[in-house]
Amino acid sequence: MFGSDSSKNGLIDVSEELARKNFSRRRFLQFGSAGAATLTFAPLLSFFSEYGEAQIDPGVLEESIRSTCALCVNKCGLIARVHDGVVHKLDPIPDHPKSRGMLCARGNSGIKVLYDPNRLKSPLIRTGPRGAGQWRQASWEEALDHIAKNLLEIRQKHGPEGVMFSSTEGFQEHFFLSFAEAWGSPNVVRHPTLCLASMINGTFNTFGSVPEFDFANSRYVIMAGANRFESLVTPDSVDLMRNLDGRTKIVVLDPRFTITASKAHEWLPVKPGTDLAFALAMLHVIIGEGRQDQEFIDRYTVGFEELADHVKQYSPEWAQSECGIDAKRIRKIAREFADAAPRVVFYPGRRSSWTTNDTQFRRAIAIVNAVVGAWDRPGASVPKAKISIGEPDIFPPDDIEVARCDALMEDFPLANKKDGTYLGVRDQILQEKDNHIRAWMIYKQNPLHSVPESRKTLEMMNKLDFIVTIDTMPSDTAWMSDVILPESVYLERTDPPHSISGAVPLVAVRQQVVKPRFDTKPCLDIMKSLAERVDLGEYFDYTVDDWFDAAASTLPVSVEELKRKGFYTDRELPEIGNTLKDGFRFRTKTGKIELRSQRYADAGYDPLPVYRPQTPLPNGKYRLLTGRTAIYTHSSLQNVSWLADEDPDGPNVWIHPDAASRHGVRDGDTIGLRTDYGEAQAPVKITNRIRPDSVFVPHGFGHTSPGLHERSRRGARSSDLIGTFQDEITGNAAMHETAVEIFPVPGGHHEEHIPVSTRRVGR
Amino acid sequence: MAPRYIMVIDNRKCVRCKACVIACRAENDVPDGYSRNWIAETDVRGQFPNLGLSFEPGQCMQCANPHCVRVCPVGATDRDEDGVIRVDADTCIGCRYCMQACPYDARYPHPTKGIADKCDFCTDRIRAGREPACVETCPSRARVFGDINDPQSEVSRLLAEHRTSRRKVEAGTEPQVYYIDE
Repeated sequence: MFGSDSSKNGLIDVSEELARKNFSRRRFLQFGSAGAATLTFAPLLSFFSEYGEAQIDPGVLEESIRSTCALCVNKCGLIARVHDGVVHKLDPIPDHPKSRGMLCARGNSGIKVLYDPNRLKSPLIRTGPRGAGQWRQASWEEALDHIAKNLLEIRQKHGPEGVMFSSTEGFQEHFFLSFAEAWGSPNVVRHPTLCLASMINGTFNTFGSVPEFDFANSRYVIMAGANRFESLVTPDSVDLMRNLDGRTKIVVLDPRFTITASKAHEWLPVKPGTDLAFALAMLHVIIGEGRQDQEFIDRYTVGFEELADHVKQYSPEWAQSECGIDAKRIRKIAREFADAAPRVVFYPGRRSSWTTNDTQFRRAIAIVNAVVGAWDRPGASVPKAKISIGEPDIFPPDDIEVARCDALMEDFPLANKKDGTYLGVRDQILQEKDNHIRAWMIYKQNPLHSVPESRKTLEMMNKLDFIVTIDTMPSDTAWMSDVILPESVYLERTDPPHSISGAVPLVAVRQQVVKPRFDTKPCLDIMKSLAERVDLGEYFDYTVDDWFDAAASTLPVSVEELKRKGFYTDRELPEIGNTLKDGFRFRTKTGKIELRSQRYADAGYDPLPVYRPQTPLPNGKYRLLTGRTAIYTHSSLQNVSWLADEDPDGPNVWIHPDAASRHGVRDGDTIGLRTDYGEAQAPVKITNRIRPDSVFVPHGFGHTSPGLHERSRRGARSSDLIGTFQDEITGNAAMHETAVEIFPVPGGHHEEHIPVSTRRVGR
Repeated sequence: MAPRYIMVIDNRKCVRCKACVIACRAENDVPDGYSRNWIAETDVRGQFPNLGLSFEPGQCMQCANPHCVRVCPVGATDRDEDGVIRVDADTCIGCRYCMQACPYDARYPHPTKGIADKCDFCTDRIRAGREPACVETCPSRARVFGDINDPQSEVSRLLAEHRTSRRKVEAGTEPQVYYIDE
């Protein structure tokens, strides 16, 4: 497969290699058009312009390799067009069940990620004070020996639990977690408590599963805060976008007039943190007016009588006083929604880390869907299926008997034990309730950005003896580490096949498209080599090929077919209605859809969602909101020039014109932002697309790492401002509880401010 | 009948995700800081909370009566039989007359090739029977490409089913990109 690249040592930088060839581009194009009109010769990559004129041998045909994108969580299907060891273009796989034949701006910019000049190129060992940026390049042997020595010393003194492991999802994360398990540390903390933990908990404890959505057939969709046209989730975003010809009514609740709101039939600028009042009032109207699907309720649910009693108190008039949405409008929407059922979705959201009562809000959304019978029917929420695939036989590690450091089961008995809670772990370390944890292994995550209150994260890091970060870019977190290990980027790796659940489930394949440009390795190779050094090699007695063989052995396709197609699925359309058949048992305590949750009651939580007002804003302060755009993924990809060039919003903090005039700031000024947790500065965008009481700080800007390009350092780092609040049930970080002050700063007014040059529609 | 290519763009479906713009950069080796296609946007309309905001993807309109072709002093740019206006890179002297003549500002001066570059509906791709990169990658299918001479094509169907508009028709260019307005 990689024959065209076989003459090269994988360590040579192909761009430099090609730059040494001295042909002109024009001659190549001439040949292409005159000599071989039917062959597709890929144009040259623009990165050549950074390295000089280059030329591709026109005798070598383009090769197409199918793989899976890794630039966000979605796993979209891509076809890499490779020419002589250089990736020219990433095309979408047309019939891919997850991405539906598209790639977004990020997916299309993947070649710029591969050829990013700021990538980590070899292992680095810190030589000066932490964070001072004094590094020396090391061989893998040396770096891994160094890590093994430090980890073993800590294990001797503090036990295996002395090492904490943090990671985020990805096809290689399994190997990092396998190492943590074999090592014997219970102190693993993953990303869900910075993201969707509350949505999963609230939805799961109602339906016994977390569904997908048959948007293609939906007639009415309510989105509360979920910005699905800027924060893309496949297939949700894609399916809903394709309905934007008027056939689906969309209602958006959001303190900002997002692009999703701009495409909706109604935008309701809800007061931040009060969306639960709206959902409860909807239930009040639907049940009060007898618009529920009683047949569905009787057959599939428990707790309706209690629910009906419970929501009597939540009238639309009451909700209006809480959330600011007109009572008449709430009534109208509730009626329309019930009338359009079951082809309706009250969307549960993805990142649901907003308020301390978030899980109850997600529960309320699930309950609204349930009472109108919008479950497992066309146009409604539909359960996901999963294709089970084989795995290699692996020597299982012993059970870990040491308790987690974050007292998770005491504080959050219903939280996911394996994922932990980020804020909980940090508190334990900072309060020195647990002096065992001395080292931190971090994979594919950037806690200095993703975890609120960065000053505390930094303080925690300063308490630790040893920090290792595995990443592809010199992130802020990597910069504060003692050893950095460079992982190969997704186009350079073959990952084990992954089964991805969905209404149409799939097995996704990520395979190597080009050899690594630098001295980097996939996570598996890294963990395997480290395991050997700490006497745990037997737990990694397999290769990626073994994973492919094991998966294919349980599928009706061969490894070759899997790789050729880039994915496998067992159906073209969702199978809808299975959970409504006689005898189906929902995975809840009662086996039914739980309008009233016995599990919550047993754990001491409200079994029906109870509204609790958010802490009022102190005078003169604003509610800090954060979120993203379709251009970047969390705190990654800000370094990509193509994306930064095409980002119309940039690092700008949004404030309403009333706030601007109150503080005497003008569009484009640099302003100061202050919370009880930190300070930052950022350029400001004055816009009536936000409520007057809110300030929007986009996530992912204000990187501090000097290893990144200047463009990554623009703006404010949202984690410098957001405080430590947790959802009561899951421990999910509540990121919209913080109050922020804004103020002009000396020298912040820029006379020569040039707004982002965006083309205006001219008719 | 020989194909004649046009594009129909459904502005209702554009969410300004920029996938089309980045795909074009990669496909056509567009240098940093320049672009062959774009997504234009309106100013925010109305008063809080009754607001409006619309987007409009665009690129060379592949005019049936192209000013750029008429003004080119060396015959470097021409409208081919398939309706696509192409620039012959070897003939183009980079004088930029075409850039001045284009009412859509659809061309840019390529900094190293020395030509007035623009969208050609991804010639290599359409000759291989594929869609232009911007069309193929568009998540919402706001951009639709096809043969107006084929009554079965998606573009013919859209033109038949929808009221469409074109941009700056008063310039007499007869643009071949049609819009379904929001």
